[in-house]
Amino acid sequence: MNHGLPSRLAILLAGGVALGLMVNLVHPRAVRFGSFAPPRVCSAGAEQAGAVTPPAVERLSLAQVASLCGDPRAMVADARSAERFAEGHVAGAIHLPCASSRIAATAALDRLAGKETLVVYGDSTEEAMPVAEELRRRGDRPGLRVAVLAGGFPAWSQAGLACSSGPCADCGAHR
Amino acid sequence: MSGAAQRRLSVRVVAVGLLRFALGGLLALAGLLKLRDPSGFAVEIANYQLLPALAAYPAAILPATELVLSVALVFAPAPWRRAAVVGVAILFAGFTVAVTSAYVRGINIACGCFGGGGDAIGPLTLLRNLALLLGVAALWRWDVTPRRAAEPSPSRPS
Repeated sequence: MNHGLPSRLAILLAGGVALGLMVNLVHPRAVRFGSFAPPRVCSAGAEQAGAVTPPAVERLSLAQVASLCGDPRAMVADARSAERFAEGHVAGAIHLPCASSRIAATAALDRLAGKETLVVYGDSTEEAMPVAEELRRRGDRPGLRVAVLAGGFPAWSQAGLACSSGPCADCGAHR
Repeated sequence: MSGAAQRRLSVRVVAVGLLRFALGGLLALAGLLKLRDPSGFAVEIANYQLLPALAAYPAAILPATELVLSVALVFAPAPWRRAAVVGVAILFAGFTVAVTSAYVRGINIACGCFGGGGDAIGPLTLLRNLALLLGVAALWRWDVTPRRAAEPSPSRPS
């Protein structure tokens, strides 16, 4: 290996770092080191997931979702963190955050067998959408209706609809 | 050097030059696209869930580093070019590890390889990264410097 190679490499990398920091100082959309808050869920999702057509996910109102409670053909999934799930969740919901492992997601899809409707919720409508879209894509099954709960769990809880609490039984493989 | 050997050398010089321009151009494009929105790129990095709280630092540094390395890869003299090849290899290896990690964990995120959005991570992303790494390895192996091209053939009598 050329003797000067490490020093040249260090100079190139240092140049890149210095340029990056300088550009970030004047950039209108600069990233702030001290105050950057990583997203709590996978906010970007797969916007252009190759050849897969973006799924159409419905938005269901509180009343529409409440009417599905107890329906054996419907399943409700909680897309929030395990901690938030343990604090309180829609009665009968399974826990399935977007960061869950492929194994956990596959297990959830297995539980979808025989179901006609899947409702996903988070702390907001937007939080549940990537998870719903992913489940729709992975569980690609004609006739399966995938929806999100409009307003998320806060709206459900405020409306005094059925809730339960406690850790999820399936959280061994994910958080 | 025989005529056939010279022709082979010329073909190699042209092929390696094209490969260098292609990799350098791709890297410059990726750097410029990411540089448009450092905040958005930080979110893309955080989505990989590898130390997400620290995502701001690579978001600020990586795009400019890609640009510097791409310029060195295409325009710099041979010794600096070799250093750039090593730098690009380190970058691509890091990207491949991150993409593989997200894919293995089943995290459904956009690649972020060219700024915001982009393709979802999948086998094609992994293949593309491996192909890029192979291209960098080829540059390391066959990037012909003027000094090496001018070296006399060992079989030629002095």
